[in-house]
Amino acid sequence: MASSANANNMNAVRETMDVLLEISRLLNTGLDMESLSICVRLCEQGINPEALSSVIKELRKASDSLKASDN
Amino acid sequence: MAALDQKSPNVLLQSLCCRITGKSEAEVAHQFQYAVRVVGSNYAPTIERDEFLVSEKIKKELLKQRREGDAALFSELHRKLQTQGVLKHRWSVLYLLLSLCEDPRKPSRVGSYGALFAQALPRDAHSTPFYCTRPGSLPLSYPERSGPGAAQISTSMGTSGISSLGVYSLNGPTPQPLLQPGLHRQQLGSRLAWALPNTSALAPTSRAPLGPPPLSTRAPRPRHDGDLTAEVGEAALVRDILYVFQGIDGKFIKMSNTDNCYKIDSKVVLCKSLRDTSSRLAELGWLHNKIRKYTDLRSLDRAFGLVGQSFCASLHQELKEYYRLLAVLHSQLQVEDDQGVNLGVESSLTLRRLLVWTYDPKVRLKTLAALVDFCQGRKGGELASAVHAYGKTGDPQMRALVQHILSLVSHPILNFLYRWIYDGELEDTYHEFFVASDPTVKTDRLWHDKYSLRKSMIPTFITMDQARKVLLIGKSINFLHQVCHDRTSPGKITPASKSTDSPKDAAELLSDLEGAFQGKIDAAYFETSKYLLNVLNQNYLLLEHLQAMRRYLLLGQGDFIRHLMDLLKPELARPATTLYQHNLTGILETAVRATNAQYDNAEILKRLDVRLLEVSPGDTGWDVFSLDYHVEGPIATVFTRECMSHYLRVFNFLWRAKRMEYILTDIWKGQMCNAKLLKSMPELSGVLHQCHILANEMVHFIHQMQYYITFEVLECCWDELWNKVEKAQDLDHIIAAHEGFLDSVISRCLLDTNSRSLLNQLRAIFDQIIEFQSAQDSLYRSALEELTLRLQYEERKKQRDGEWGVTAEQEAEENRRIQEFQETIPKMRSQLRILTHFYQGIVQQFLVLIMTSPDESLRFLSFRLDFNEHYRARDPRLRASLGATRGRRPSNI
Repeated sequence: MASSANANNMNAVRETMDVLLEISRLLNTGLDMESLSICVRLCEQGINPEALSSVIKELRKASDSLKASDN
Repeated sequence: MAALDQKSPNVLLQSLCCRITGKSEAEVAHQFQYAVRVVGSNYAPTIERDEFLVSEKIKKELLKQRREGDAALFSELHRKLQTQGVLKHRWSVLYLLLSLCEDPRKPSRVGSYGALFAQALPRDAHSTPFYCTRPGSLPLSYPERSGPGAAQISTSMGTSGISSLGVYSLNGPTPQPLLQPGLHRQQLGSRLAWALPNTSALAPTSRAPLGPPPLSTRAPRPRHDGDLTAEVGEAALVRDILYVFQGIDGKFIKMSNTDNCYKIDSKVVLCKSLRDTSSRLAELGWLHNKIRKYTDLRSLDRAFGLVGQSFCASLHQELKEYYRLLAVLHSQLQVEDDQGVNLGVESSLTLRRLLVWTYDPKVRLKTLAALVDFCQGRKGGELASAVHAYGKTGDPQMRALVQHILSLVSHPILNFLYRWIYDGELEDTYHEFFVASDPTVKTDRLWHDKYSLRKSMIPTFITMDQARKVLLIGKSINFLHQVCHDRTSPGKITPASKSTDSPKDAAELLSDLEGAFQGKIDAAYFETSKYLLNVLNQNYLLLEHLQAMRRYLLLGQGDFIRHLMDLLKPELARPATTLYQHNLTGILETAVRATNAQYDNAEILKRLDVRLLEVSPGDTGWDVFSLDYHVEGPIATVFTRECMSHYLRVFNFLWRAKRMEYILTDIWKGQMCNAKLLKSMPELSGVLHQCHILANEMVHFIHQMQYYITFEVLECCWDELWNKVEKAQDLDHIIAAHEGFLDSVISRCLLDTNSRSLLNQLRAIFDQIIEFQSAQDSLYRSALEELTLRLQYEERKKQRDGEWGVTAEQEAEENRRIQEFQETIPKMRSQLRILTHFYQGIVQQFLVLIMTSPDESLRFLSFRLDFNEHYRARDPRLRASLGATRGRRPSNI
């Protein structure tokens, strides 16, 4: 029972993640599945999405510059 | 929530950092700290926690990117999300995604984060975002903001630009260069700025990573109201050229009226090749203007006529095709504008492409403009001739075009023609057709004067012969209707008369002018003329009248004329003033009834009449008498008034000659009778002998003249005329033959102006004959008187039987009388001698004149008149001239 419920839950969660991934792809966010799931978890825990997005952007920029400096 | 690990946010954050940067945990320490700080700062959200709003924002975002399909997809997904109900903070997730949304076309709203990053990242020396990854435009502006790190930044920008470009070109259209709202507001105004040649300065620093291709495709982007001091790009020129094609002045290329050409404004900076190409293209606009001007002018002209109107219509058609091409070009340009992008090098409008596409139309327009020039001021048939002249070219395209126009233009003319041929109607208000009708002419002159050919309006594809036939056909129909009162519809005359219903028929006809068209005209001509001649011969007895003229006016009916003369002799001997017409007419009737003339057609007999000419003092009846023949109606077309006057002149001459013959016959009669009687008077024999000789000479002369007139002149000419009339195909032939006949008769009867001297001689001879007659009459009278007296004397002698016959004094009286008589004889003799001498002199002169006449038959007459060279012996002139012709002939051969 619990397993079926869990399975159902799992399915639901997976579906949700799929949908979110789809949306993210539509919006061209550049997030892959894992990052997206982390972000979702963070958001569910109540993190301010604005802050989070700014962090992500900054991280991206930093990573790019790091890559450039490596080159 | 088993799937979601219950990890602390920090752990999650760390893993996120690693994930995004792709580095190990140790290396991202710096970033991780920062991230923690940010997240922990916990500043108040600036946004509402409204899921609906967020989703709407997302949709709007998508729509702005012109991805309607995606927006619909998103709504679908969102709905699904809502139904699943797994997430608790949907709005935050959505908001996160939204803010992470990378619009390749627009910079994200990063202004608010500017301060944030400025503190955090010392590398960020500038407040403005480098997130506007617009590779193309931005390098332009960056050097102006140059700071120490600028180069580095711009290069970094460049690389990011490249990568982003790589990414974005997959997703959507290449970025449009819009400048950021942040710093460089002054550049927003002149959006041309990015196209400025300043780009060349930037090339080494920023262009290199980008490479030229993306720039060049976007360089000719016409989205400006640029300042003209800058160099004009090709796209601007293309737009201008499209205006010029329609004849409207463009921004740079304007019509210069002084040179009558399109000129590029000299202030405009333009590279040479573009200038040349656009000049070449501008020619099209000039040609278009020319044609347009012509058609506009002509359409206002009311008197231009049908042919001209069809010409303008055909020009309009061609122009419509041209406009269609222009519309296509315009739409091409429009598409580019709307999409705001270049669709790639292959489909943009360049001047080169325009050149190629407008080549054919240019050739066509050139032909049309040349036609327009040539046709200036012409109308009607002339216009058709002008167009036809242009069709004589080897170029098949041009020929096809001109043929097409010609078929349209000649359609009205052919319509006119068919109406004229088949109905005889001419409705030509603008005087375009080549048959002209003179409305002032009345019915009696309809055939000769009413219709004429307007030579200038005959199109060159219709020969003169055809034009004349056409005129004749219509004339015949009108003649039938009005003069002959024959109302049969022309449809019966020429069957299957189909007029040109459409220009296609006209085109077909034109292509086969020799065959079909000629055939049509010939058929119509043949049928109509035959019908006309039938009507004239049967209803109006034309040929009979012709023969009647011959019989009566030209003294063909011998017995009638002789009898008439017999009857008229006592009347006409009286002075002219005592003659009454009705008397003479009565005598005429008697003569008709008594001879073969009575069997003639009543129509003819009723036209026969007597006419008294004008009386001059001293005239006898002979001088004023003349026959007449009345003509009216259709016959009068052939026997016009001039013809009738000719006939009367000839009649006069012939009548006079006949009279001479008549007189001489009388003389001869008298001579025969009296010769026997006067045998008893031997003293008269000499005189009588002289009389006889003279009379014989005269008889011979008149005989030959009559022969000449009757056989050489009248019969020959009549035969010719009759042949021609029988073979005649239309009325014109008959009229011409008839006039020819009269002309030749007149010239041969010595009645024309050339032979006036001859005629005078002849008249003189005739006068001599008359004198001789009177002289002879008086001679005979006196001789006969003497004879009777002598006979009486003898009688008386015989009566006195038994006694002496006569007394001495009677005898003496008798002798005296005889003496007197014999004294008169020498007088008579000398009179006769004078007469003879005079007569012979005149005849010799006549002979001399005839000898030198150009007419052969007159020369032969001279031979006949002098067959035994009687006159030649007397006249040295004759000897010389006769000898000249007779003697020399063998030597010439």
